[in-house]
Amino acid sequence: MLDFRIRLGIRRLLHLPLPSAARARADADAELDAFVEAQAEHLMSRGAPAAAAREESLRALGAPLDEVRQRLRHSVTQREEHMQRRERIDNWLQDARHAARTLRRNPGFAIASLLTLAIAIGANTAVFAVSRAVLLQPLPYADAGQLYQINTIWPNQANSRNELSPADFADFQKGQTTFTGLGAVVAATPPMIWQPASGDPKSLNALDVGSNIFTLLGARALYGRTLMPGDEIPGHDHRVVLSFEAWQRYFGGDPGIAGRSIVLSGSSYEVIGVMPRGFTINEREELWLPYDQAGTLADAVRARKQHYVRTLGRLKAGVAPARALADLRTIAAGLAQAYPEADSGRTAEMRPLRDVLTGDLRPALLLLQGAAALVLLIACANLANLALSRTMGRRRELVTRAALGASRGRLVRHLVTESVVVSIAGGLLGVMLAGAGTRWLLALNPTTLPPLFDAKVNGTVLGFSLAVSIGTGLLFGLLPALDASNGNLHEALKEGGRGSSNGRASGRARQMLVVAQTALALMLLAGAGLLVRSFAQLTRVTLGYDPNGVVTADLRAAGDRYTDMLKVTVFYDDVLRHLSQMPGVVAVAAVSDVPTRGSSGTALRIEGQENDEARLRDLRYLSVHGDFFKAMRIPIIAGRAYDASDRPDIPETTILNATAAKRYFPNGDAVGHRIKIGPDPNAAWMTVIGIAGDIHSNGLDVPVEPTIYANHRHEPWMRSMSLVMRTSTSPVNAGALIRAAVAAQDPSLAVNNVETLDDVVGQSLAARRFALGLATCFALIALVLAAIGIYGVLAYNVASRTREFGVRIALGASPGRVVSLVVGQGMAMSLVGIAAGLGGASAGARLLNGMLFGVTALDADTYVVVVALLLFVAAVACAVPAWRATRVDPLTSMRAD
Amino acid sequence: MALIRGTLDVLVLKALSWTPMHAFEVITWLDERSEGRLDIDGPALIQALHRMEEKGLVSGEWGTTKNGRRARYYRNTDTGRAHLRSESAKLARDTETLMTVLGAKRS
Repeated sequence: MLDFRIRLGIRRLLHLPLPSAARARADADAELDAFVEAQAEHLMSRGAPAAAAREESLRALGAPLDEVRQRLRHSVTQREEHMQRRERIDNWLQDARHAARTLRRNPGFAIASLLTLAIAIGANTAVFAVSRAVLLQPLPYADAGQLYQINTIWPNQANSRNELSPADFADFQKGQTTFTGLGAVVAATPPMIWQPASGDPKSLNALDVGSNIFTLLGARALYGRTLMPGDEIPGHDHRVVLSFEAWQRYFGGDPGIAGRSIVLSGSSYEVIGVMPRGFTINEREELWLPYDQAGTLADAVRARKQHYVRTLGRLKAGVAPARALADLRTIAAGLAQAYPEADSGRTAEMRPLRDVLTGDLRPALLLLQGAAALVLLIACANLANLALSRTMGRRRELVTRAALGASRGRLVRHLVTESVVVSIAGGLLGVMLAGAGTRWLLALNPTTLPPLFDAKVNGTVLGFSLAVSIGTGLLFGLLPALDASNGNLHEALKEGGRGSSNGRASGRARQMLVVAQTALALMLLAGAGLLVRSFAQLTRVTLGYDPNGVVTADLRAAGDRYTDMLKVTVFYDDVLRHLSQMPGVVAVAAVSDVPTRGSSGTALRIEGQENDEARLRDLRYLSVHGDFFKAMRIPIIAGRAYDASDRPDIPETTILNATAAKRYFPNGDAVGHRIKIGPDPNAAWMTVIGIAGDIHSNGLDVPVEPTIYANHRHEPWMRSMSLVMRTSTSPVNAGALIRAAVAAQDPSLAVNNVETLDDVVGQSLAARRFALGLATCFALIALVLAAIGIYGVLAYNVASRTREFGVRIALGASPGRVVSLVVGQGMAMSLVGIAAGLGGASAGARLLNGMLFGVTALDADTYVVVVALLLFVAAVACAVPAWRATRVDPLTSMRAD
Repeated sequence: MALIRGTLDVLVLKALSWTPMHAFEVITWLDERSEGRLDIDGPALIQALHRMEEKGLVSGEWGTTKNGRRARYYRNTDTGRAHLRSESAKLARDTETLMTVLGAKRS
């Protein structure tokens, strides 16, 4: 049996509970035995013989010995459990109260820690809120894990992904066996115009979808019903489903809307249902209409060759994706053989729907989370250093506690509680910051995040924040606590105990922390620096046109009036003529897609050159109407621009861009050549009359591709165009002018998205600017924290070596010598950190590859600047401690403790 | 004499207020003080002591008797002393009240 020391005279001290149930039982048995013994002794002292006394004593228990033993064991076990529980709680409370007191007594430390933690934890929480919404939150479809998007691709070409053509879709739908069904989504559905009782006509984003799509996605209507098979039959197909947002915004959120008729683009449609809030299939569509598959298939050639049907499918339960893919590939191979001019060489691909929607964002979000985590680590290093300094100063208090019976575990728990309390407090502040931060993140870029995702600080996020806070507290509290509770009593109680060997070990730990901080800070700075350079390179890309002073607006000649294409030409002619006569308007034109917003694709055949029908030359397609090149200030490099002589009734003329001319006419003889484009090999030839300068139609970071600027007057089948107007009036006035001009021709049409071209270009850079802003934020925070870290360690070192400095100065060391000692130590730490950081950066730089433009991940210039910056900051951080070291008074220092 | 549990606690505290005792010593003391009128069951007392220790009224630790045997000694804690004071006063008042009622002469 073990003996327990008797604790002397300690007030609140309950005896230490026994460590295990077995001990508790042994305790109970021992007590019972002792009692029986004592009773027997008592009887023996009255003269009873030993055996009789014992027997009487046992009998006096009043029950069989075993029963009594069981009762007492139970009693002791209960006692122990309750006491243990109470002691644990008391300890935590005591520690927490003590921690709060300590923090109050050291407001500087408390504030510094709280701020550091708030920023670091807040940043992590904000990024996590967004990540959770995008990467983890379930899609608003039933069993979304079974949903896939199907495309066709050239087997080895990354950017060759295409949607299906209507005829291919029908064939896939008939032939597939591994999906419960395929659904069609016509992504390029033009908007519908709705005329409210009063006010301007409104343009509503519409989406033509297969009538089975809602069932496929497992989506139910909020009111009324969704589209069902049968709704696409001509005569019964004027049915529409409203989005929640459109229902609220335009129809007053009236629950009786189902069954009512509304007029869209001149025709009457029955509203059959409203979808729940947040439901979407493409992005921000407001109406769903049935896709007339049969009608589309009537034009066999177009239906086979025009690829615009976004295809979704639900995998059958129990079917492996690999098997489904093989099935799809077989069908694709069949189509490639049967229709070589449309599908040759293409194979099928299926991707999980979640990846399709978030794939772009995942690397960026993961990088962001990584950066935020690095900032947190740097903050932890600082806090650990701070904690180390403080626990050093409390050595005597801790040693006394140990002498009074606190175990090492108890001491560590005591110190760690302090760190955790600070962390949780910092975390709470951080969550508040994160709430604002998330809103700010979203406001910066409403278009960056798919509207599917609702990023806000909710229960999960709060839970994450709490976990991070506690983890942080443990992380930066444990090292100092373990270090401080290392109980070398003698050393610590001696005067000037900071010079002990323990002090040296913790000093080294401290320096390692600073080295780590510096390395991490360098990695973050390098990342931010690379992004800054990428952005700078992007902004320097020559646009090929002058956006300054150009206003754009979207317009669609919608409605039965414009079924006759001639009317479309006349309409745009009239609007453009009207606008060009307005004061302040230099030139005005219309184009199918405003630059950076993309372009259509088509195929090219050149007269006199070989045209392989199976593999035609790719051409981007822009349709222009009016003085486009003059309005945009795009130079005409050869030949001429369109003018009045290019009438619709004579053979068509066309203009190519410089890249097309260079690539497809290497002899430089593009002008005068005849070409034809489009799916039909028997279309009429067009003559190339001019070459225009390149513009970045698909985005600044996408290389220019061969493009045709088709004459809209000759091919007015595009009814949706964007006006581009170079004008000296303000954008607001320009918008009013445009609306007036359109209303003068047709008051039922809506004008949307009046913007300056500068803004359009800016928006195309928005995502990058956003990432850049965040990365720079993190990097700067990291830099400041690292500087504080270096400063802190040096300051502490100087303080603890006061006597040494005093002696040196007394022996004649010059101030310069003292400074160089301190600065030397500081710079040494920084250099090691920088070296480590460079290693880490070169290893991790690959992660940034997808986000860079015009610079490599190992761009020397960037790294040189970053290293110089860090060295400078480190030098500054060394300055104050170094200066303090020179002010040490030899006499007082040698007297001091 | 039958004892309510709470009363037993007070008596034990009183016993321990003299000196730390182990369970048997407590029974002996109470037996002597009550001149044999209190008949306390040994195991019941030990359980009572465990409960009181759990509640923080007493604290127990192993020690050695005069005869060199191991025994578990109990002592009062501050909480126990305070409890003893307040409960003794209350018992005294209650008893006085009872006596007043029961001893009232017919008038």
